[in-house]
Amino acid sequence: MFSGLAEFGQAYLGFLNPLSIAYGLGGTFIGIMVGCLPGLSATLCIALLTTLTIKLPANDAILILICSYVGTLYGGSRTAILLNIPGTAANAASCADGHALALRGEAGRAIGIATSGAFTSVLFGVLCLAAFTPLLANVALSFGAQEFFWLALLGVTLSGSIVGDDPLKGWLMGILGLFVAQIGQEGLYAYDRFTFGWDQLSGGIGLIPALVGAFGFSEILTTLADPIERKIVSVRDSSLPRFREVLQYWPTVLRSGVIGVATGLLPGVGEDTGAWMSYAAARAFSREKEKFGHGSIDGLMAAETGDMASIPGHLIPCLALGIPGSAPSAVLLAAMIIHGIQPGPMLMIQHPQFVYDVVAMTSLAMVSILIFGLFMVRPLLLVLRIKRAILMPIVFLLCTVGAFAGASRLFDVYCMVAIGIGAFFLRKRGYHMAPFVLGLVLGSVLDKSLRRGLVLTEGSIVPFFTRPISMGFAIVTIVTMLLYIPACRRAVRRAVSAVRISG
Amino acid sequence: MNDSTEDGARDRAPRARRNLQDAVVWVVLGAIILVASLSMDRLESQGINPYTAPGLLPGLLGVAMMCLGVLLALRSLGEGATRHTPVSVSRGPDGSGHGQLTRVLALCLIFTVALLGHGLPFWLVGAIFVSASILTLQQAQRKAAQKRLELREIASAVAIGLGAGGAITLIFQTLFLVRLP
Repeated sequence: MFSGLAEFGQAYLGFLNPLSIAYGLGGTFIGIMVGCLPGLSATLCIALLTTLTIKLPANDAILILICSYVGTLYGGSRTAILLNIPGTAANAASCADGHALALRGEAGRAIGIATSGAFTSVLFGVLCLAAFTPLLANVALSFGAQEFFWLALLGVTLSGSIVGDDPLKGWLMGILGLFVAQIGQEGLYAYDRFTFGWDQLSGGIGLIPALVGAFGFSEILTTLADPIERKIVSVRDSSLPRFREVLQYWPTVLRSGVIGVATGLLPGVGEDTGAWMSYAAARAFSREKEKFGHGSIDGLMAAETGDMASIPGHLIPCLALGIPGSAPSAVLLAAMIIHGIQPGPMLMIQHPQFVYDVVAMTSLAMVSILIFGLFMVRPLLLVLRIKRAILMPIVFLLCTVGAFAGASRLFDVYCMVAIGIGAFFLRKRGYHMAPFVLGLVLGSVLDKSLRRGLVLTEGSIVPFFTRPISMGFAIVTIVTMLLYIPACRRAVRRAVSAVRISG
Repeated sequence: MNDSTEDGARDRAPRARRNLQDAVVWVVLGAIILVASLSMDRLESQGINPYTAPGLLPGLLGVAMMCLGVLLALRSLGEGATRHTPVSVSRGPDGSGHGQLTRVLALCLIFTVALLGHGLPFWLVGAIFVSASILTLQQAQRKAAQKRLELREIASAVAIGLGAGGAITLIFQTLFLVRLP
């Protein structure tokens, strides 16, 4: 226990130098600016910064990325409050109450609540990150190919079920992502799959170009397809963080923190789920339910706390299992691999200090958002005044740089454009990109785990269902899919009602 | 009540029709993936374990895609995809969103395919793209205000383009040593 504390101390001391603090503040600042701009996501921000920081030492690069991740979700609350448009999908739950407060002349109060809620929830999440990552990594050492197979499939299934309102379309996108991940040389024998003799495809479709296309270029096209520019509500009152309100609503903050971290632990479940579940729970427990959606402090606090707490939550499976919890953490995972760090159960054995470093980095991000929340609210809002006609072309330019920089191939830029156009039209037809991205990230894990598992069991699929942990994952995956069938949903509701009546 | 039910059915039918079209695409794509996977070399000459054949997971994904595509088709048929509904004449406020989108898409493709990586420095190519895009995107506002393109606007767009191209090149290439196209 004391060696762990010593390593924590070493990690924190390691970042207490001017350069690291500058990187942390810079990353958070960029994240807040990107988060403030509707249409630009945390995924795009982290993907672009991954290419910017590709030549930096690993710890500095990951520090910038984690701070930008935290900053983007925090910055997204600005547009949710002032424009009634979520800066990122995770801030959607803050729109109703945040904007209602802004319309009442309390925009500053709403921003202050977002700051204090974000700081408190990230603090809670950091403690969970420090406590649970080593524990989960220890448990994951007993995972075999069968467990990783189901974990990867569970991630795609959950993502497809929860994102959007049509699980069937979500699963189709997940399968598409899994398929795109199979293109190129496969991992066991270097056999070219679906390359059609085209050398450029042997390297597969790069994750960063695909993410930049799906979350960057498609967002640009979506934004430009909507010709309406929204009116920004001015901030007239004080926007200082409201810690008194954190204490006043401490049950909501604590509950939302737990929900946020718990949803973050589930692979494939995005930050917006943490926010919405926290919001729904706050409303269920509130004595003033009628205020929700009309400027409820409780509601805003729950939404902001839930989504920010899910960030450290997503880092836990990312570090301990090598399975990303969300699209932004998928990019973080890719960045760690680029910098020579292999997340997964062996991380605590090969690079134990790195886990403590990530805890310190997230703590630095937490302090950075407090600093920006105290001193930089109004200056940062100037970025909202930049016209789309100027911003979107510059973002596209950054997207081409982001797609090119990883492998210095123009082919990756073409992939980015093609995926972006495809993603734009798919989104118009009601398909979400998050399951596609999860599929892309988890495709290789699923493929290798399936084939290794079958070799170990000499072709028998029985151990995939009978090994204890595999069985658990398999049950959750199958139940998630069965709940889509109306008859099954009705049967579950009847069973739950019967249990309630007999209780 | 009857009018709102009919309105709901009218709204659902076009969506169901679109879903049915998508379902056909998914089933065809799944079938292509399955056929391609089955015809993949099983590397028997290398003496590999047959359970590690490269086409295993892609084939399963093809089957899954086809199954889900069929489910989508069945659901769409249940929602009245083949029901005849009168074509609604409602449109968006004007066609400006789609026209703008088409123009920007064309600019992006010209930039990516024709300008990028063909010998011109990135800052210049970036400047040309950003300036042209700003002028194109502001065209709708000028048209609505019945204003002509002024030299001041051109100069402003060019300045922003040069600034953006130069700043990105400076930050990525010079400061952070990232190779640009």
